[in-house]
Amino acid sequence: MRQPSVIARRVAAASVSLVVAAGAAACGPKDSGAKASGGDSTPHKGGTLTVLNAEPQTDFDPARLYTSGGGNVPSLVFRTLTTRNRANGAAGSKVVPDLATDTGRPSKDATVWTYTLKTGLKYEDGTPITSADIKYGIERSFAPELSGGAPYLRDWLVGAADYQGPYKDKKGLSAIETPDARTLVFHLNKPEGEFPFLATQTQFTPVPKSKDTGTKYEEHPVSSGPYKVVKNENDGEHVLLERNTYWSTAVDDQRKAYPDTIDVRSGLDSSVINQRLSASQGADAAAVTTDTNLGPAELAKVSGDKDLAARVGTGHFGYTNYIAFNPTVKPFDNPKVRQAIAYAIDRSSVVNAAGGSALAEPATTFLPNQKSFGYTPYDPFPAGASGNPAKAKELLAQAGYKNGLTITLTHSNAKDFETSPEIATAVQDALKKAGITVKLQGLELNDYKDKIHSVKTEPGFFLAHWGADWPSGGPFLAPIFDGRQIVKDGANFNTGLLNDKSVNDEIDAINKLTDLDAAATRWGALDKKIGEQALVVPLFHPVYKRLYGKDVKNIVISDWTGVLDISQAAVK
Amino acid sequence: MSGFGGFLLRRAVGTVVTLLAISVIVYVVFYVTPGNVAQITCGPRCSPEQVHQVAQQLKLGDPLYLRYWHFLEGLFVGQDFSTGTSVAHCAAPCLGQSYQTDQPVLDIILTKLPVSLSLVLGAMVVWLVLGVGTGVLSAWRRGRISERVLTAVTLAGTATPVFVIGLVLMIVVCGELRLLPFPEYVNLTDDPEQWAWNLLLPWLSLALIEAAAFARLTRASMLETLAEDHIRTFRAYGVGERAIVARHALRGALAPVIALNANNVGSAVGGAVLTETLFGLPGIGQELVHAVKVVDLPVVVGMVLVVGFFVVLANAVADVLYAVADRRVVLA
Amino acid sequence: MSEALVAVEAAGAGTSAPAAPGARQFWRRLRAQRAALVAAAVVALLVLVALAAPLLTALEGQDPTTYHPSLIDSARGGVPIGSFGGFSADHWLGVEPQTGRDMFARLVYGAQVSLGVALAATVVQVALGVAVGVASALGNRWVDQLLSRATDIIVAMPLMIMSLALLAIVPSSFPRPVLVTLVIGLIAWGNIAKIVRAQALSLKGLDYVSAARLSGWGAWRVARRELLPGLAAPVITYAALLVPTNISVEAALSFLGVGVKPPTPSWGQMLTDADVWYQAAPQYLLLPAGALFVTVLALTVLGDGVRTALDPRAASRLRVGTGRKDAGARDFGAKGSSAKGSGAEGSGPTTKEASA
Repeated sequence: MRQPSVIARRVAAASVSLVVAAGAAACGPKDSGAKASGGDSTPHKGGTLTVLNAEPQTDFDPARLYTSGGGNVPSLVFRTLTTRNRANGAAGSKVVPDLATDTGRPSKDATVWTYTLKTGLKYEDGTPITSADIKYGIERSFAPELSGGAPYLRDWLVGAADYQGPYKDKKGLSAIETPDARTLVFHLNKPEGEFPFLATQTQFTPVPKSKDTGTKYEEHPVSSGPYKVVKNENDGEHVLLERNTYWSTAVDDQRKAYPDTIDVRSGLDSSVINQRLSASQGADAAAVTTDTNLGPAELAKVSGDKDLAARVGTGHFGYTNYIAFNPTVKPFDNPKVRQAIAYAIDRSSVVNAAGGSALAEPATTFLPNQKSFGYTPYDPFPAGASGNPAKAKELLAQAGYKNGLTITLTHSNAKDFETSPEIATAVQDALKKAGITVKLQGLELNDYKDKIHSVKTEPGFFLAHWGADWPSGGPFLAPIFDGRQIVKDGANFNTGLLNDKSVNDEIDAINKLTDLDAAATRWGALDKKIGEQALVVPLFHPVYKRLYGKDVKNIVISDWTGVLDISQAAVK
Repeated sequence: MSGFGGFLLRRAVGTVVTLLAISVIVYVVFYVTPGNVAQITCGPRCSPEQVHQVAQQLKLGDPLYLRYWHFLEGLFVGQDFSTGTSVAHCAAPCLGQSYQTDQPVLDIILTKLPVSLSLVLGAMVVWLVLGVGTGVLSAWRRGRISERVLTAVTLAGTATPVFVIGLVLMIVVCGELRLLPFPEYVNLTDDPEQWAWNLLLPWLSLALIEAAAFARLTRASMLETLAEDHIRTFRAYGVGERAIVARHALRGALAPVIALNANNVGSAVGGAVLTETLFGLPGIGQELVHAVKVVDLPVVVGMVLVVGFFVVLANAVADVLYAVADRRVVLA
Repeated sequence: MSEALVAVEAAGAGTSAPAAPGARQFWRRLRAQRAALVAAAVVALLVLVALAAPLLTALEGQDPTTYHPSLIDSARGGVPIGSFGGFSADHWLGVEPQTGRDMFARLVYGAQVSLGVALAATVVQVALGVAVGVASALGNRWVDQLLSRATDIIVAMPLMIMSLALLAIVPSSFPRPVLVTLVIGLIAWGNIAKIVRAQALSLKGLDYVSAARLSGWGAWRVARRELLPGLAAPVITYAALLVPTNISVEAALSFLGVGVKPPTPSWGQMLTDADVWYQAAPQYLLLPAGALFVTVLALTVLGDGVRTALDPRAASRLRVGTGRKDAGARDFGAKGSSAKGSGAEGSGPTTKEASA
């Protein structure tokens, strides 16, 4: 699961650039005044796009990145077999070819996938991109030195479970065949109709073996995309990208790459990023952020200012914040207790705690409210906008808790407005009306993650969230509800410990489908079926609101990422 | 000067012992801190086998004493690290390599140190000027309204946490009035003018917290000095009040100010952590907070040692300066 | 470590007073200072407000944890509806953004936590500092070496960083305010230990203490009967300054995400949450900031007053200052040279040499 820092306000992350080009200071006494804005809205080539981020681009190595759809900044340097459609809204959640000529040709049972590379593909040094380089790129992502990516390749490729990467195992992965320089054949150990989605992740980026420098590769990865890395300071704090002259729109119909230079500066406090974007002075007029939402306080200010409000991009990323139960812990083994809590929940106060109706939408389904996930509206325990404490009390009485109940809610102490104390206190306040006394157990983030993802220490009642690896029901439902994905001695995400044969079988059946629309419908139906068991109480889906500088044009925000796509943005 | 040489030697040995003791404490504390380092490094969705491989790679399975021994070994002999494709040697004094980023800790420190030094030293100048200035003025204007106002202003600085002062300053000065840039660190060697403009707000935020203590101390010392016999003598000879304050009373206040300044290096480091976090300055403090959150033990130990070294150093320097400033003191 | 530091405290706090004045004399001197009296009244009022928080909120008819979603504008990030953050007869100081919780209730309950943590942490610091300092001064060379080295280590460790780690280690079932108190108290006692040690060493050299030791009193009895009274002045003075520092540290820990946990309100935590609301809901920031300022101001002025009352030299200056304000600087020299003894300024270094 990708865990984007959504509204991370005070992520005390690493830091910002050391060297700032002269005059880059935003509004200094040397400032020559704001550029003329407005007028021509057609995008033109040229200029420098500045990216102001909280989190640095650490591990800028295609093997180590964990992205949804190849990421935002990484996607400027790393091309993959397939990629996300660079279009606004729902159209943007489709998968399209990138290096390959199509999104992949499946065998009849979807266990063998064949790809053919486009012709004329070149690296930043002019050497051709070959299928063997893509195979090598995937292989090195198995090296323990380069860990960090998503688990799917290891789970899906034949014989990959114990593979330790090309540094220790020279034989390589037999599951990937390269019959010629343009063809790749993937052999999977089970049908996976969503393989084209997986091929958008950066592990499918070509890496020339002769240029591989192991853990040092991140300092200068070889570009296959429109930009190459000319500077990477302090492990991604300041990344400067310039045009890769061997790339052109003739071989890439997705990325527009208008600006000549992309200047990524990170380690900034989120409130500072938003202040700078709203001031939009000097170089900040051509700035965007790829990781920082408007917080509630900033939204309150922006919504009162027409000029600022016009510079806010709104997007939806497939993401759900929810309450999770561990049904092996009393009293949550009793479905009536879980249902009572589902009825008692006050989603409007939870939404307020998450930043208000502009930043969060109340959720009653586990799947995100987007078509590509197969969203099927349902609400098995209708609590209304602000909870139904009477119904909750009734269920509690049936469960044998006439005089109320005292339970402990585990949450993190992160300031993320997701699993954070703000949300926990909103839940606490709502359940009070139903006679449920909630004690809060706030854990430091690492402790919290260790506890909720270990079968041995998992608490009975806690806040959790889940994000999409790609916009489909598969990576959203399977890790959480597939009984065979319960991990006993490691990080477990099936926190409801559900092992229901009918659910497992349905997951297998849907994975065989290569018709993604048909699959989506069935994911939606499965979500509804699981939802009735009240193993989770969906709380809200976040909405992304992000400011951009006044000179930024061609704003494209897809439902896949929910954020402004910098491969489309122009500053001239 | 054998006494002075002995003093230096005793100080040096004491410093090394202190720093080693600190490294032991940090090792033990972070050894029991929750957070599965291998899982964090590997990523949230890593399988148990992969986590195990990463743990082996990082030598996390070793018992505490062995890991500490490796640390000492690196410090005095050096260490080798595999990049996968080759072997990188980290020469002594090697503080190890970050679990998260594979960068040598010493490299990280060396890139962050100029930022923190710029911040703390610059802020020191500001708080000395501000603090001593206020102290002199308030001693001189003792009992008047202006003194009360000055006292209240400096106390307001102490009473408001640095992150509140910093953010409000930033919003008002950079956002509303647009008088200064939103701070972004510029290397002193690249552009001294921009370096200073960009650091002005961080300096002010950090200095306001510390200035009050100096104001109070200066005021107290000056009052004490002004009460001494020789000042009375000057007065009797008709030396002007302004000259007395400037030439004599201020000198008396010098020694304790130097001493307090050294002592404040420690607390300024704490303030620097907050200031760097708020302003996004890529210094030691910000990196430390991050390293603590991801349980990156080599980085934490290395940076705590560096910070500790500067605190010890500052105190030693202060003792020497203090002895020079006040000849009555014997160095022990 | 820093002998210089000890000297600072000697200079700044007048630590060289050989013995504390009697209680009656102390109160007489304290009462003579108008500012200190006002400050004492303010501190007393703050403590009273903190203690009476349940009563005061009952009077208002609110509590610090109940959400009032109808009082905030959800579409605009949850900013309070109405002027001045929703000031009204029901909510005397308005409501908190995003939740609509009552600001007055949170502020007075926050006083409980902030003042409680700061005062309790000061007690821990003073207790540890005095214990280590006295033991170091009275113990043999090895005890002194060991304790002094331990003090050096504590002083050189970055407080913030160790707090981050320590607060993550302790199970969350441990009551948070107590934990924060202990962490601040246990980590920041180094300076007071140094001051106490130096002062105790200088007292040890005095005739009456030496006499007590020679007459066969145990170390404990010497410490209790002869040293502690002499230590009272510098310790009380330094402690008064520690309280506001501790309030700020508590706030800083909240800023870094390891302070007191919601829904328990504390001023530091309120400030941390409020700083980004500075533009959209200024009162949210200004209320806790103002409370903190008044507290620190009152405590500092009171601390100064206590110091002046404990220190005869300062007391004489004080009389001059308050008696004839208009006379200004010329009165500086009127009094005060009498108390100046050999050990006055450099008490730390010189006495250490003497005792070695």
